[in-house]
Amino acid sequence: MKKYILTLALSLVWIAFAQASDPAFIAAMQKQLDAKKTIATYEQSQTVTNGFLRIADASETEWLPYYYAALLKTEAAFRFEIDKDKSLDEALELVKKADKIAPGNSEITALNGYILMGKISLDPAGRGQTMSPQAMQLFGKAIDLDRENPRAVTLMSQMELGMAQFFGTGPEKACGMARMSLELYTKEEAKITDEYILPTWGKTVAEQVTAKCD
Amino acid sequence: MNPRQLLFITFLLLQTQAFAQTSLHGQVLDERGMPLPGANVQIKGSYDGATSEQDGSFQFETSATGSQVLVFKFLGFKTQELSISLDTNSLQIPLVKLIEEITEMNSVTITAGAMEASDEKKSVVLRPLDIVTTSGAMGDIVGALQTLPGTSTVGNDGRLFVRGGDASEVGIYIDGLRVGNAYGSTTANVPTRTRFNPNIFKGTFFSTGGYSAEYGQALSSALSLNTKDHSLRTQGDLSIMSVGGGYSQTLANDNQSISLTANYFDLKPYQKLVKQDFDWERAPYGWDVELSAQQKLKKGGLVKVLARTEAGGMQLWQAQPGEDGRGMFVNLHNKYSYAQSNWRNSYENGWSLFGGLSVSSNKDDLIIDSIPLERKNLLSHAKFTAIKDFSDRISMKVGTEYFIHNYSEKLQLEKQERSFEEGETYLFTEWDWYLSKKLVLRGGLRAGNSQLAKQTWVDPRISLAYQISEFGQVSLATGQYHQLPIENFRVIDPSIGNSKSKHLILNYQYQKDGITFRAETFYKSYEDLITFKGNTNNPSQLQNAGSGYARGLDVFLRDRNSIKNTDYWISYSFVDSKRIYNQYETKVQPDFAPKHNFSLVVKHFIPTLKSQLGTTYSFNDGYKYTDPNQSGEMNSKTKSYQSLSLSWSYLPKPNLIIHFAVQNVFGRENIFGYSYASKPNEQGVFESLPTGQPAPRFLFLGIFLTLSKDKTANNLNNL
Repeated sequence: MKKYILTLALSLVWIAFAQASDPAFIAAMQKQLDAKKTIATYEQSQTVTNGFLRIADASETEWLPYYYAALLKTEAAFRFEIDKDKSLDEALELVKKADKIAPGNSEITALNGYILMGKISLDPAGRGQTMSPQAMQLFGKAIDLDRENPRAVTLMSQMELGMAQFFGTGPEKACGMARMSLELYTKEEAKITDEYILPTWGKTVAEQVTAKCD
Repeated sequence: MNPRQLLFITFLLLQTQAFAQTSLHGQVLDERGMPLPGANVQIKGSYDGATSEQDGSFQFETSATGSQVLVFKFLGFKTQELSISLDTNSLQIPLVKLIEEITEMNSVTITAGAMEASDEKKSVVLRPLDIVTTSGAMGDIVGALQTLPGTSTVGNDGRLFVRGGDASEVGIYIDGLRVGNAYGSTTANVPTRTRFNPNIFKGTFFSTGGYSAEYGQALSSALSLNTKDHSLRTQGDLSIMSVGGGYSQTLANDNQSISLTANYFDLKPYQKLVKQDFDWERAPYGWDVELSAQQKLKKGGLVKVLARTEAGGMQLWQAQPGEDGRGMFVNLHNKYSYAQSNWRNSYENGWSLFGGLSVSSNKDDLIIDSIPLERKNLLSHAKFTAIKDFSDRISMKVGTEYFIHNYSEKLQLEKQERSFEEGETYLFTEWDWYLSKKLVLRGGLRAGNSQLAKQTWVDPRISLAYQISEFGQVSLATGQYHQLPIENFRVIDPSIGNSKSKHLILNYQYQKDGITFRAETFYKSYEDLITFKGNTNNPSQLQNAGSGYARGLDVFLRDRNSIKNTDYWISYSFVDSKRIYNQYETKVQPDFAPKHNFSLVVKHFIPTLKSQLGTTYSFNDGYKYTDPNQSGEMNSKTKSYQSLSLSWSYLPKPNLIIHFAVQNVFGRENIFGYSYASKPNEQGVFESLPTGQPAPRFLFLGIFLTLSKDKTANNLNNL
């Protein structure tokens, strides 16, 4: 009888473990990541954002749901005719939450800088002076935290390109960084499996920068 | 039962559990009962949920069973929870109304009398950068504020004059702590400027009346400057200017930063090149050293330190009406130090605390007409405030302040000295009550006690704001303000007490996409102003016997949107002010309060030239003065004041700025009044001399270089 009870207990433990851990979380994340790819309207973007926020609420120790919700709010500000400043401010709040769960994360730091870039683009004359150095500093920090993070390098190259265009200097530095980020994307692609839910975006941005290099 | 059967049953049970799906549906509405799309509905602790559709409806399946909590979340709305029981296949959720949260971003702000320069908040009139890039201001905070409505330019003084009040009626604060002798020491008719570099501030709050119970000892205006929180990077800033130079080194890491700055200026070489109208014996010169440090604390607080010490001087001859020769010789030497430290922290439970301490020390050594005089002023200020947000609708601020104020004047030859020691205590509280997003009420009380004047007083203040359209709002503010007399008077008669003023302000503000329009009308009464016999340098029979009023209208338009790469603002202020005070014998328009005041500021950026061009035009209809050859007081008026300034900032490299500016391009000979001989000449006429500008024009050239690992840094802020 003892044996049976042990088996029962073990099986229950195994099932409980399986339910609460990665597969369910990964499946839920993948569902939202798939939905994210098909976003065409602001309403759809909001639906997927909410999806990530539900995961964030249920899995309180995971930073990725907040990260993607913040990313969606940022992309929404770039793509749709909405109150862009408000959307970016909300993205900043979500990034803060992600940062609390996973302090010193390169992806979160880079996204934080990306949101600031969005804020700058809405009022370059008024905000550029104070926010550009902040954004640059965040990208620098993100690169320091993970030298293989292609998004940090890409976003930095984009800032560098803007600066080079403004001051009429050559785009060499921006180009070099963008090319480097493309190599990092290739490396990253090799790691991607069916269960991969970490950020992979940004390659097209790097390609846009390198397109200006010839 | 064998293990296999047991496992089978276990799985079977679990499977049933997994497939016992319940379908939930319902609708989310806002406060007014309108459908609320985009709300997030979720079974607490699970991934199951949905987003409300255009019509506010939601529908989803869940495998959860039994008693559960349904959570309704939407950014900007209060989260709601609902207990449900999942034991049917289909569950209809009752209608849920979400209540919008009132935040600083979505609610109305009180704008009566208030103008802010900030990067962070809404309803700002200026950006911090505007202060340094306003042409004609020459990097002086007050110079830039003089282009805003409610102010008058008094060119022979340089200080801030607000709505028919004199310069002493403006209280200047740094991080909420009072600054004593905020302007450089000067002598009569030589314009001064603020001692502090605008570069160290991240925001400015300028009130032309009706301000918060947090501020006192200012009859007309409060100017509150907030220092930067934390420098981001290690860098060096070098400035080489036509009037001097300086270097600033900043060291920064994630949690702390420290800057040390040293500057030296001397107008002598400049004045050798450009002819001056003033008869300088020694051109103004000076040096300053400044330290600022910020430390983030582990538990979320921030501690700041700002310390500055400076010294400077000037010597000049001031011609006297009816006398031959160079006139009166004035020699001024000044030493000044200011130090403050403050701490602030916000807690999760809704409390925010602030504590700070500041000391201002000023010493002037003057020789006027071969009479040496020493003046010492020492002002210490301690302040503690606590803010509690009871909910998103009600917040409370309470605070206490203590001032120690010592002042002395010494006639060196006679070895005569007079002085006073003062202690002032204040208590204040202020409550904000949001009746809705569109309507806010603010009520405050400020109580004060002066040991020297032996007075205790209470000032009530009330304001409200109501949003009348999507982009427009009206604000109303009223309050009572007390101010003790200036040091020169108190040292003669310490028993003289407070002057009193009451404000009433009605404001309309419209703000949309880079366009700000403000119109404001006000009435201000004055009671118990100081009157005396004799002249300002030697007053006698000081009394709280004066009174007066100021009323008028301000209009302000700022547009950053309509013209590409161009930002402009226009201010017009009408002030009708009359008062009996100082040596006045009748109620007259004071010499510092022109009726019509106008300014236009334009900034235009030319990308191909990597340059910002700026211009400022200022106008007023002239200053009143008393001509003793005619009957009455303030019986004459100067010609109108006009000045056009141009500036050109060129950014050849990200870390280099070249700035060139000309004040009063056309060299218009502005006159701020006339001084008259004390006795008539042989023909029975009082002879006069005009009070004018130091020179027809002022030219400035500066090169600002930032040295840092990060090549994008520049010190545009130093212009």
